[in-house]
Amino acid sequence: MDEKIYILIVEDELEVMDALIKDLEKFEEFFPVEAANNADEARDVIDYILDHGHKVGLILCDHVLPGQNGVDLLIELQQLPEAAKSRKVLVTGQAGHEDTILAINKADLDHYIAKPWTKEQLEEVVLAELTDYVIANKKNLLPFMQILDAEKLSAAMRNNQMTDH
Amino acid sequence: MNATYKQLTSIIIGLVGFLIPFFIEIPGLSEAGHVALSIFCIAAIFWMLEPVPIYATSMLVILLQVFFLSKQGVLFPEVSAEYTPNSYTEFIGTLANPIIILFLGGFVLADAAVKFDLDKNLTRVLLKPFGANPKFIILGLMVVTALLSAFMSNTATTAMMMTVILPIIARTKPGDPLRIGLALSIPFAANIGGIATPIGTPPNAVVIGALTTQGIHIAFTEWMLLAAPLVIVVLMASWVIILWMYKPASKIIELDMSGSFQKNKEAIFVYLIFGITVVLWITESLHGVGSSIVALLPVAALSLTGILDQERIRKLPWEVLWLVAGGISLGISMESTGLAEWIITSISWNMFTSIFLIIAFSLVAIVMSNFLSNTVSATLLIPLAVSLATSGAAGEGFSLVLISLVIGVSASLAMMLPISTPPNAIAMSTGTIKTNQMTKAGFAIGIFGLMMVTLYALFYWPLILN
Repeated sequence: MDEKIYILIVEDELEVMDALIKDLEKFEEFFPVEAANNADEARDVIDYILDHGHKVGLILCDHVLPGQNGVDLLIELQQLPEAAKSRKVLVTGQAGHEDTILAINKADLDHYIAKPWTKEQLEEVVLAELTDYVIANKKNLLPFMQILDAEKLSAAMRNNQMTDH
Repeated sequence: MNATYKQLTSIIIGLVGFLIPFFIEIPGLSEAGHVALSIFCIAAIFWMLEPVPIYATSMLVILLQVFFLSKQGVLFPEVSAEYTPNSYTEFIGTLANPIIILFLGGFVLADAAVKFDLDKNLTRVLLKPFGANPKFIILGLMVVTALLSAFMSNTATTAMMMTVILPIIARTKPGDPLRIGLALSIPFAANIGGIATPIGTPPNAVVIGALTTQGIHIAFTEWMLLAAPLVIVVLMASWVIILWMYKPASKIIELDMSGSFQKNKEAIFVYLIFGITVVLWITESLHGVGSSIVALLPVAALSLTGILDQERIRKLPWEVLWLVAGGISLGISMESTGLAEWIITSISWNMFTSIFLIIAFSLVAIVMSNFLSNTVSATLLIPLAVSLATSGAAGEGFSLVLISLVIGVSASLAMMLPISTPPNAIAMSTGTIKTNQMTKAGFAIGIFGLMMVTLYALFYWPLILN
């Protein structure tokens, strides 16, 4: 399969970024991870990935970023046809009530992870979000069964009418 | 539309093929035969190169025939000495051909089975007696897969069964050949199992549809009586071949098949309808109600109860019905315009013995359908076989049913490449096997299948048919 599905992490603090990347290790083989330090970089990375015929399946985004904040970035991405399909998770300790509500209403936020997270918790969220992403966006779900939620994928496949021609 | 270079080239080749018979006069072929040849050319090229989906080509075939070959079309409004044009309703009527309705019934049953997890739960129950020895687990998986795919689509069965074996594969050591054996056993068993019943796979529909237009009726059980013994032999041989090529290193497999049969009212109703329909199908000789008529029972019963709701009706694989209908339509015009007979009589068949013809048709069907869709291969070959038999060119002892069976069964025995059948493609997409592993095992099964088809066609089928 040529088309790759990326995980994009937007986070300005280096240690936090390293920790996220390390905790996502088990997905790396199937879903390459890209990193961006701020909103501008995130846009560039997304453009680059899409230009090369790949997809962004999941965006893990910090709220407090230099320049444009995470919630605003996610709302903006929601306006782009391709980026709107990406699953969006806010990973933050500091987004206030209002920002979070805004993100849910306007950026179609899929999940909120409060810092500090545990590895298991992060893996669980990423697994669930990527599973939903591939079910909604990919025709052939079988290759994902070895890494994502096999039960859910299998149910989705059995409900699609599969034919023999 | 974003046509690629390859698509464009294929379309141009198809159009050129379509135009040639308009400009080149072929001696001995009627004017209508030329038109039928045009349609045959564009259909064959589009089906083989697939610039458009194969069901779309079938729709095009029906359109072209209605326009150019029907009594209501532009070219042949009058009966002539050479050609008595079919009414356009004969071409579009293939969409309601009995075999299409039988398939519809099969689709509806399969859909209800999936909705209520009947397939999954049957798998669980049926696998239990096979224990934990890898050899017998593989056999069990193959038997269950073949059984399910005889009543559901091979593709859907494979997808479901892959979800059973992938967790096992994940727990097996990377170098264990068991992984390859497991991943190959499912698609192969599905391809083979589809042969067993009329509703098992579309090539069967092509064969039965073509025979129906010749006035030959094949009952559900009659097909099973002809096909199932072959299925069992080829299935067992495939099991042996897979074990021989990929001997499992693990001594034990744990199957985790949790779950239980749903027991709500709707589910029980579905089990009942499923049971009644299958029983009526296999007892046709007792009550005489044709299998296509029986097929309407699940369609109506499940719609009336809302189990098959609007959304699920929309999701039925209608394109398969169009695909087969287009093929049957093409067969009708190839026959009535004399095209098929012209193609056949250009070869002096009486030079060949009937055993040679059986091997030749089987081989051609296997080779073709390794590269093309099984349905398309059967569709292209059947009209030729029909006129070979009806024109009497092949001499005595050459039966129409026999050669049609040879083609239909052989088309399903092609499984060398990932592109050969959708089940193969599914197995490949899991990343557990390499193409050459599939090719090696698929080749062995193909050769064995070819020999079996020949033996059955010589000794067993004539016994049943007479």
